[in-house]
Amino acid sequence: MTTPVAVKGFTDRHSRRTLISVAAVALLIGLSPWVLPEFAQNTLVRACLYAIVAITVDLLWGYAGILTFGQATFFGIGAYAAGLTFTHLGFSPGMAALALIGGILVSMLVAALVGVLSFYPGGTPLYASVVSLVLPIVATQIIFSGGTFTGSSSGLSGFESFDLDITVWFWLSAGLLLVTTLAALRFVRSDVGRLLVAIRENESRCDYLGLDAARVKTLLLVGLSAVCAVAGFVYACYGMVVAPEMAGFQFGTELIIWVALGGRATILGPVFGTLFIDLGSAYLSGDLPFVWKLILGLAFVFVIVLMPRGLLPAIVSRLGLRAAPAVAQTRSRLALSEPQPLAGLSNRGRLALRLDGVSRRFSSLTVLRHVSFEARHGELLSLVGPNGAGKTTLMRCISDGAERTAGVVELNDRPIGKLPPFRCVRLGIGRKFQTATVFEELTVLDALAVARSRLDQPSLWHRTDTVRLPEPALAIIRTTGLEQALDMPCRLLSHGQKQALELAMVLALEPNVILLDEPTAGLTKPERQQIGQTLTALARDHQLCVVLIEHDLDFVCEISSRVIVLHQGEIVMDGSVDAVVGSSLVREIYAGAAALPEGLGSRP
Amino acid sequence: MALLFDILSTAAILFIVSCGLLLIFGVMKIINFAHGGFLTLGGYVPLVVTQQGWMPWSALPLALATGLLFGAVVERSIVRPLHSRPLDAILATWGLGIIIGQAITLIFGRGVQFAQSPLEGTTSLAGTEYSVYRLVLILLAAALAALIASVLNGTRLGLITRAVTLNETLARALGVNSSLVRLSTFSFGAGLACLAGALITPLTSVDPNMGIPWLTNAFMLAMVSGTSLTALAAACLLLGAAQVLVSVLVSPILGALTIVVLGAVVLRVRPTGFQKA
Repeated sequence: MTTPVAVKGFTDRHSRRTLISVAAVALLIGLSPWVLPEFAQNTLVRACLYAIVAITVDLLWGYAGILTFGQATFFGIGAYAAGLTFTHLGFSPGMAALALIGGILVSMLVAALVGVLSFYPGGTPLYASVVSLVLPIVATQIIFSGGTFTGSSSGLSGFESFDLDITVWFWLSAGLLLVTTLAALRFVRSDVGRLLVAIRENESRCDYLGLDAARVKTLLLVGLSAVCAVAGFVYACYGMVVAPEMAGFQFGTELIIWVALGGRATILGPVFGTLFIDLGSAYLSGDLPFVWKLILGLAFVFVIVLMPRGLLPAIVSRLGLRAAPAVAQTRSRLALSEPQPLAGLSNRGRLALRLDGVSRRFSSLTVLRHVSFEARHGELLSLVGPNGAGKTTLMRCISDGAERTAGVVELNDRPIGKLPPFRCVRLGIGRKFQTATVFEELTVLDALAVARSRLDQPSLWHRTDTVRLPEPALAIIRTTGLEQALDMPCRLLSHGQKQALELAMVLALEPNVILLDEPTAGLTKPERQQIGQTLTALARDHQLCVVLIEHDLDFVCEISSRVIVLHQGEIVMDGSVDAVVGSSLVREIYAGAAALPEGLGSRP
Repeated sequence: MALLFDILSTAAILFIVSCGLLLIFGVMKIINFAHGGFLTLGGYVPLVVTQQGWMPWSALPLALATGLLFGAVVERSIVRPLHSRPLDAILATWGLGIIIGQAITLIFGRGVQFAQSPLEGTTSLAGTEYSVYRLVLILLAAALAALIASVLNGTRLGLITRAVTLNETLARALGVNSSLVRLSTFSFGAGLACLAGALITPLTSVDPNMGIPWLTNAFMLAMVSGTSLTALAAACLLLGAAQVLVSVLVSPILGALTIVVLGAVVLRVRPTGFQKA
């Protein structure tokens, strides 16, 4: 353990280094107009504005996993807002402000539409890319069809704009780029940045952690569209020309190339990639018009195939430089959460769970048929049955309103209707999957923080290093030794630790009904006993309703307060452990007594 | 009647242009963004044939052969390493499309050029004068569909290709050489793309970027059709008809958007598109 003093020293050193490099870059921007020829300054104004758009592509693609071709369109909207206003209404500072605000608003509105269309429960990343591809195609055609109003294919030019010196434009655009870069770097290290990575890694786990991934992605897209619109607006004011290509598909793909070459999910990589390539294009495409693009194409294919992470990470690792650690993680710790009367454990109904006539059909195949039962808080209910009995399907029907084809499911007295999983979570349910699903790239602490995002509002700016957990989740982390591994990436954990972490993540939601699909699969005997004790404690001490799928009947008998036997999609028995164990029907279902564990029949 | 012929021949052209993309997407689950580049490549074959003064029809087998060979080389060098990264494969093939476009620009120049059509003129059919070549394309599209179907259903390679399409892991476990299937699929898909390029060239002109507008339409048609050729034929007919109708009745600019916009809407409402659920 580092002492608090040493920790403070480290962060001070870290932030001082950042401060010095920012000051150095600012100084460089300030001085370069006296060194650079005017042509280079002109090119850099454009490149800096493009790089701002490239940052938004990186945030969407590199961090949130949304491959997008559409960011060009938001840039184009900002540019056309300036071009159209100045051409048709004339130029004045007031008009400029109006155009800027108008451009941002239109851009955000379009982004909201695109977001709603692209991101929905069950939507695939490929579909989102398809929509982002359609957007610039539609945008260009709209500009084409605008006739003299939009200038059609030749665009608008010759409008009046701010009369500024090239040096001022350079300072302005480089300054904007610097601010955007710093804000983006800060953002990706914030709580929300961590949430984006979690969504990219495992969206369905996020869904069952009560997080509305579609909403997060849409908000991200809307926010970033505004940034692109500002860049487009400045570009139109500076260049005094707008053209349909600015909003087009071709520009959209160029952005992707710059980001991929620079290094996705690094922010700095795309910035350097854009600056270098755009400068290179300006200087070289005059002498080698087609060869330059050919070389770019070759480099792009080469990097994608051989250096999937891009050039910047490749160079950094080749030079043996280690990028500064993402955050000074030495302060990671856990704390006990305050009870949250309406969101947490105490928000319970009369009945924990009620199913009435639940059925699930896949076209002609019926997997569940009229399943009805009730469960109270404090019960530990085991679902048993041979493979294919419909146990996992039943769990899906309880935790996802879209899953069942008939019947009613109520959680804490409230019907789930057709609610998606993240809304069911808000009714008090937590679901642990059959195979442990954690976020491989995140650390243990990060994973727990993501699990708490629903209850503890994540910050856009800060990174929380103290995660508050409810008592049962904290107990699991402590007893399994995960508290000593808070800064370890989840992918390095053992199978048992992953299972424990996922259970802790589910409990961090403060549910009062939890569904566990074979929590002991692949665990050692001691680990199994530990899980058993945890589960009985959850039911007894915390009055949770625990629903368990289990194949190990010994384990079931040891911990359950009630057992439901499912066979061919129907409940064939619902009773106490003794009743089920004594039943001849259960023996028949399990293909004779031989399949039952020895001594089961003679239990007291 | 001319409208009906327009719809049929548009659907036929769309089918010809997108079947290669669909084949690769269906079997390999990869979207070949170099499809536009392959179309362009195929489009320049009739131009070379015209310049050399050969028989115009000979462009078709030449284009097919070019595509088969080129596709095989690309599969081995670029696509195979990206097997497990399908989204990256989109990018790499897009880059390949740029390379093809630039290489063609270097060789042939960036200008618009024309190739000789194998069939000139119009014919009188059902009371309207209609371009012979467009009518022949309808027959060719049907022949192409029959050819692909017979390869998939009638040969051993087709059988194992269908097995890989349904479940690659299982097929490999059963001893199917899925690497060979991928190679032949990509090569055949590229061959079909080049053939399509050669077939559409007489309708329009050739230029180094001629493939890109076709690519987006073909891409959307393949998306809504999944793995099924029948679904593709249905999608081409329906969306092609919509395109023709919107172009004629509303405006050609909106007509150009019909397929991509309708396709996106169809996928949103019904993620399986035109395939049977």
